[in-house]
Amino acid sequence: MKAVEITDLNFKYKDGTEALNGIILSIPKGEFVVITGKSGAGKSSLCLSLNGLIPKFLKGEFHGSVSVLNKDVKNNKVSELAKKVGVVFQDFDSQLFSTNVELEVAFTPENFNFSKKEIERRIESSLSLVGLSKYRDRNPALLSGGEKQLVAIASILSGSPEIIVMDEPTTDLDPAGKEKIFTITKELKKNHTLIFVEHETEEILNADRMLIMNGGKIVADGNPKDLLSDVELLEKNGVRPLDLCRLFKNEPVFSIKEGIDLFKKKRFSISDKVYENLKHKKSYGRPVLEIKDLTYSYGPQFSIEKISLTIRKGEFVAIVGQNGSGKTTFAKHLNGLLLPDRGEIKINGVDISQWKRSNLAREVGYVFQNPDHQLFAETVKDEVSFGPRNFGVPKEELELGVKESLQSVGLEGYETFDPFSLTKGERQKVAVASILASRPSILILDEPTTGLDYYETRSMMNLLTKLNRAGYTIIIITHSMWVVCEYSSRVVVMDSGRVVLDGKTREVFSKEDLLRSTKLKPPQITRFSRLLGKTFLSVEELKKCLN
Amino acid sequence: MDPRTKIFGLLSIFIISMSFNHPVYLLTLFLFIITAVILSKSMINIFKFRLVIILLFLFCSVLWPLFLRRGLKSVLYGIGMGIRLDVMIVAGILFLSTTMIEELCWGLKKFGLPYPISFALSMAFRLVPTFLGTTSTVVQAQRSRGLDLESGNIIKRVKKYVPLIIPIFVSAIRNTDNLSMALEGKGFTPHRTYYIDSKLRFWDYLIFFSFGLLVTLFIYLRIKGYGVILEGRL
Repeated sequence: MKAVEITDLNFKYKDGTEALNGIILSIPKGEFVVITGKSGAGKSSLCLSLNGLIPKFLKGEFHGSVSVLNKDVKNNKVSELAKKVGVVFQDFDSQLFSTNVELEVAFTPENFNFSKKEIERRIESSLSLVGLSKYRDRNPALLSGGEKQLVAIASILSGSPEIIVMDEPTTDLDPAGKEKIFTITKELKKNHTLIFVEHETEEILNADRMLIMNGGKIVADGNPKDLLSDVELLEKNGVRPLDLCRLFKNEPVFSIKEGIDLFKKKRFSISDKVYENLKHKKSYGRPVLEIKDLTYSYGPQFSIEKISLTIRKGEFVAIVGQNGSGKTTFAKHLNGLLLPDRGEIKINGVDISQWKRSNLAREVGYVFQNPDHQLFAETVKDEVSFGPRNFGVPKEELELGVKESLQSVGLEGYETFDPFSLTKGERQKVAVASILASRPSILILDEPTTGLDYYETRSMMNLLTKLNRAGYTIIIITHSMWVVCEYSSRVVVMDSGRVVLDGKTREVFSKEDLLRSTKLKPPQITRFSRLLGKTFLSVEELKKCLN
Repeated sequence: MDPRTKIFGLLSIFIISMSFNHPVYLLTLFLFIITAVILSKSMINIFKFRLVIILLFLFCSVLWPLFLRRGLKSVLYGIGMGIRLDVMIVAGILFLSTTMIEELCWGLKKFGLPYPISFALSMAFRLVPTFLGTTSTVVQAQRSRGLDLESGNIIKRVKKYVPLIIPIFVSAIRNTDNLSMALEGKGFTPHRTYYIDSKLRFWDYLIFFSFGLLVTLFIYLRIKGYGVILEGRL
């Protein structure tokens, strides 16, 4: 009996979106499969067809057959299939709803009609498997993202499904959170069939099998090592290749050690002269943000303490750190959303207390992480005009500003579209455009690339580079280390409310020990190059310096 | 305490507060509730809602006399109505502070309400903090785009809430959608067992009995004409 048997699956959502196009897939029991691909490829839809949510909950035109452990998905109730297949979703907040962890984990076996004693036993074993035995009385809503996902996993495990499906479980987690999930996966692999949608190549390497999806089809299916070393295949399908595979052109090199060995074997060497030239000396303008001893607390403990730094016009700064390190708290001071308890902030030389709130919001544009927390208008044009209109910008200037900002983000022609009909990446761009339209000189973006696939991420970051070159001072908060390395000129590392590292990107990433203590992992190419005594921030840089 | 007892207690308080309209009687009831709040250490939650509690009291005390126009009695009536509303609110907050959502759901089910309905009701309470959190983020996001909620006449100010309401609603709907999928995926069904398994004990029976007695007594007294400041009105 196969775990999953799919024949000719076609699915079109009620609104006409064709999600799945002739899927043929067979997964034996006990296999660990990772599905990857760009946005809209059909990965989530495929996952949802495995426990019957498609077509029972999400309705549409369903053709073909999906059979899970010999149960046909069309002819069985979702509540029946739930006994065999457990699904964990990307958004950990909305899938948790109980007062404490114990009740959250009890929910599934309650539905399966087990006795209280049996439920107790299952709670015990699920929590211990995910390492949360001491968390029984904790409120799930107050846990970290990684812990929340572990609770979600435990709440599925308590139903003892044979198949576990996870749709991008680590995408919204910080590096520490991701680690937790990768560790658990190794445990889960032992007696379950695992089907994950995942972009993190580290996790993909743990799997037995890798699928690449595009346009609702499975375009590649094979051993992760084979597929991951085919750089062209990955790039063609919107998946980010591993740095070392790109460096060594399609050779299956996955670990740093393998990379070093191959480097030596091929007798490669780095030109010191070219390397020195990499350290371009860009000069920046006057200080636009001067922060001295900034301290703020939400409650009894300090959220951020004694932060001092100066940012000059034209810089591209990345603020990094674990969740809870104070990054967002700090950033919210820069446009006046929060006012310091202690310390000074000067924007363009003027103390924050002297700024009129609306003028400050105009000067310092803040793009929130989730574009859906901002979008409300009927057309893209109305949405983008909102800011300038609030600031009293006269009509002609407003029209021009809207047109230019849509052009900047690559959405010209989208004026009459309904913002809610756009993809996540497009909505994110509308959000950026709506801030740009007011012509701030400083732009702050909170996690601008979360939820975007590789192409969309590059697109967004290239846009920010373009804006930076045009004179905008850019500050991003992000977890994505490769984005930090390839795009920002300066990095500020925060930990427990303080700044622990602040300097040029290359300098910061050469301080491995300090970075390790903050649990931040530099990109693969950087870690690799450190062993060669250099700090490279991208594959392109290293290639330039190769002899 | 068994959730059923707490639900019964809450209902009794509501009924008792409706039995009288004399401010002195209602004030006594209010003091009784406050004592319970202090004993259960829930004062902090009441404090959070102090604005609502005070404002409602003021509105009632001022508006009722204006509508009734029966002199001193209508002023006292208004004060009584204010206290009554506050009794209900404080009792409600006390209940929610001392009862888990799951207990509420279980208790309602035990009283005969079908599980899907009691669950939906308990979810409504459960999601309030979530939506408040979203509201706070949306307000910050829109303020960052220059939304000014302070200025303008009434009509303009109401319009300004559109950029807040829509993202909050969209977020709420998306949230509920995800939640529904998660619930379905965990096999949600009315035919199930319950991890919470509370048994009625001596104190529960005592409270049931006492409250039952009090409610009967007070309704009887009201019929007999006690606790009334204004006849012909509830």
